[in-house]
Amino acid sequence: MSASDRHDAVIASAGATGAAPGALEYVRASIGYGARIIVRDASFTVAPGEFVGLVGPNGAGKSTLLRAMTGGASVSSGDITFGGVSLVRMPERERARIVGVVPQTQLATFSFTARAYVEMGRHAHLGRLATPAAADAAIVDEVMELTDTARLAVEPVDELSGGDLQRLTLAQALAQQPRVLLLDEPTSHLDLNHALQVLELVRSLADGGLTVVGVFHDLGLAARYADRISIVADGGVTSPAPPASALDARVVSDVFGVRAVVRTDPVTGSVAVTPIVRGADLAPAVSGPRIGLVCGSGAGAGLMRRLARAGHPLYSGALNRGDVDHAVAEAVGAGMAELPAFGEVDDIVAADVRAGYAACACVVVCETPFGSANLPNLQAALDSGRPLVLVGEMDDQRDYAHGRAHALWERALERGAQRVDSEADVPGALGRCSGVEA
Amino acid sequence: MTPAPGRSRTVLVLSGLAVTLVLAIIAGVAFGAVPISPGEVVSAIAHALGGGERTLADAVVLDLRLPRVLLAALVGAALALAGVLYQALFRNPLADPYILGVSSGAGLGATVAMMALGTSYMMRAIGVPVGAFLGAGLTMVLVVRLASRRGRLDPTSLLLAGMAVSYILSALTSFLLVLDREQMSSVVFWMMGGLQNRSWEHVASLGVMLAIGSIAPALYHRELDLMLLGDERAGQLGVSVERFKMLALASASLVVAGAVSVSGLIGFIGLMTPHMVRLALGPRHRLLLPASVLAGAIVLVVADLLARVVLAPVEVPVGIVTALAGGPFFLWILLRKERTR
Repeated sequence: MSASDRHDAVIASAGATGAAPGALEYVRASIGYGARIIVRDASFTVAPGEFVGLVGPNGAGKSTLLRAMTGGASVSSGDITFGGVSLVRMPERERARIVGVVPQTQLATFSFTARAYVEMGRHAHLGRLATPAAADAAIVDEVMELTDTARLAVEPVDELSGGDLQRLTLAQALAQQPRVLLLDEPTSHLDLNHALQVLELVRSLADGGLTVVGVFHDLGLAARYADRISIVADGGVTSPAPPASALDARVVSDVFGVRAVVRTDPVTGSVAVTPIVRGADLAPAVSGPRIGLVCGSGAGAGLMRRLARAGHPLYSGALNRGDVDHAVAEAVGAGMAELPAFGEVDDIVAADVRAGYAACACVVVCETPFGSANLPNLQAALDSGRPLVLVGEMDDQRDYAHGRAHALWERALERGAQRVDSEADVPGALGRCSGVEA
Repeated sequence: MTPAPGRSRTVLVLSGLAVTLVLAIIAGVAFGAVPISPGEVVSAIAHALGGGERTLADAVVLDLRLPRVLLAALVGAALALAGVLYQALFRNPLADPYILGVSSGAGLGATVAMMALGTSYMMRAIGVPVGAFLGAGLTMVLVVRLASRRGRLDPTSLLLAGMAVSYILSALTSFLLVLDREQMSSVVFWMMGGLQNRSWEHVASLGVMLAIGSIAPALYHRELDLMLLGDERAGQLGVSVERFKMLALASASLVVAGAVSVSGLIGFIGLMTPHMVRLALGPRHRLLLPASVLAGAIVLVVADLLARVVLAPVEVPVGIVTALAGGPFFLWILLRKERTR
């Protein structure tokens, strides 16, 4: 697939129309329908070749922001300009040579062939009496190739699937040879494979100089493909920011009412947003006594989720950034002493952790391997004097601290710690330790 | 890169329809109280064009039959053109001048003009089409207003509003006719859709209106294609939607007014013809428009022939023939639409 070769041609020919290069700018634009204002004072700039994603809850006005550019919504004050020229007051024909739109849904009640449908994108470039020429045909062929729709050319559009129609509509918009491409949930009818294909294409077109503004439902896709992200909520729009800062966990929970882990995906390197539990499910942890956990390396993740959902406040000791348990503890709001990656526990932190465990009704030692990094957690749990629940057996597979973990384990058992075989038995053990009900 | 087959198909289809129309016209002229052979029809037309002596058959052909048959062709063409325009602008395969009430509006306008302007021939020749045009235009505005909710046009409301307005306007026309008994019988017959006793003046008047009304659709056939994608999408692709709608609706009102002022209310031609042509040739207006215009002409010439043949020597008003064929057709589309939903 040599999509990158071909998109250069689309952009190059778009440039050849002679329009001045320019930025897309919302200038204190208040946008709505008639007298009803949906978004107030939108002010931001999208640079040439930049891809800005708009995210926000349903009905916040994401689509309205886009539709205002092509007359589908009204701009009651302010302006939207391209290269300093108002798009709002521009004649439709001229505007259609600058702005291409892929709407959320498209009527297909009349049976044009797919090719004729895409060719309609050439309308604004054709003279009144002209019929599409060879150059137009070449552009239509090219955009159909790019969008992987060439094989549909003779199919009637009213018999195609929603996904095919959506890609044809993208082809139609690209046939306009636009300088700005507006996408209103461009992947809503597409399966994952085609959604990624379409976004990869749009991304490569943006890299080639096309300015893109896209409305996204999927925060992960927005973060992965957009250069910057704006949040549309409560009648306003934030100034676009890089995905990592635009989509921090607090923003996601404020705007969408969803608790989420926002982290850089280790494989793709882009920001990944993973919703944890719906806000209503994860009651502010108040309905049980505090439980301490000695965990790390993901061994405590399952138990933390379970206890958090049961309403227990949690304390998870010292955890290194980058540890799976660290991410989970952060997501469920567990208390902890945060260490840098590969950081070690010093005396000050150790005292801190001991105090943390001392405030718990009971401390669970999860089935985690122990090394010099997390051994201080086990020590602190023992020193806190709280009742302990030990999960699993301490053998050579778990003790990487030259027998020191084993020694602490034995001492805990001598002091009357309960031992259970697996995580499933923990709630029962907690019930037996000083009236805790898991 | 396949523009070639489209072009040759266009030529083939349009010339096929044109030949059919010529044959239908010859057949329409040949049939009548005094049968005239197709050869005589052709020679009469040749005499008229090339000068030379006129026989009695020539006089019958040129003064009586030909204007009537040509008028039928023009009326059919005008109604089909209006149907294509309405169906594209409203994205509704059931839209046609009769169902939308525009024909009734034109009829009322023409009736008012006839009564107000007296019997002066010149006044009528100009005044009746003008009255019909105003009636058609105002009715269209009224029906669209009635069917719109917050700027959105509901397809079902459009048809219901059109039919309701059509009944009201027809009732008003009848009311006016009762007031003026002297004119009643002739106007009633006109209202039923008749082509009797039409002269070359009628042909000329409708010919001019049809020619003017065809200019915009011919120039803007691509806009009509784009309108099928919806108003907003058409705007995004470069159509000045509001201006184009005004222009196209004015053109449609003009040709409907022309048709109604010469032949009264003839229903369903504007519904049936574009629909059948679209089924056969697809929705692109570059072909759909001229093909529908030719097909509309053929259909009405044939319908008029039937109207004269069925109860010969008694003539049935051609509007009754088209309604008999068109009503069931309307139901067929309606049921087909429901089933595919």
